[in-house]
Amino acid sequence: MLILTRREGESIRIGHDVVITVVEVRGSQVRIGVEAPRSVQVHRAEVYDQVVEQNRAAVRTLDRSADILRTQVPPRES
Amino acid sequence: MTVETPPEISALHFPDGIPGFPHLTEFTLVEVVEDGAFQLLQSLEDEDVAMVVCVPWLFFPDYAPEISEEDQEALGLERPEDAIVFCPVTLEPESRAVHLNLLGPFVVHRESLVGRQVVLADSDYPVRATVDLGAA
Repeated sequence: MLILTRREGESIRIGHDVVITVVEVRGSQVRIGVEAPRSVQVHRAEVYDQVVEQNRAAVRTLDRSADILRTQVPPRES
Repeated sequence: MTVETPPEISALHFPDGIPGFPHLTEFTLVEVVEDGAFQLLQSLEDEDVAMVVCVPWLFFPDYAPEISEEDQEALGLERPEDAIVFCPVTLEPESRAVHLNLLGPFVVHRESLVGRQVVLADSDYPVRATVDLGAA
């Protein structure tokens, strides 16, 4: 991992169009600003990782899940 | 209660891939059982990648995901009714419980069929919201 030391108000540029700015440092917390194109989704890593894990679990258990749905869940009443 | 299900769809485009499968961009929705509550989101590029999904309001009628401006712009969404929303589902065979990922719904533009899985980081929605199928 590349490690850079930055002060409040200073930035890091990633590629041509992503800029990470240290907005504020207070105790053990750091506020970080991210400028990125709309096509780049920006997430807190631990939240994104939860979604990744849930997607993988959904794919991993698909065969079992589909069987349950086919055999046990009645069609929706309309 | 009326629940709008995704229409018959040939191909959904996820230009950024989806979390965990960033290389897969083309998907389709397949019925699990006819007129059922659940569909399969099936990759058109990797037949081994598919997951059960469902429309969240079927089980969580008060669900109100706030789509960020960035996501709205990226998808070209101008009105709420432009969006098709469905959530990843996992099932537990032992308990007949299903879990919906309300934190990370798929949002697809109804006309362009371009979508992404959004992450509602500022919401309190859980990544595993439990529904007891026996009671549903």
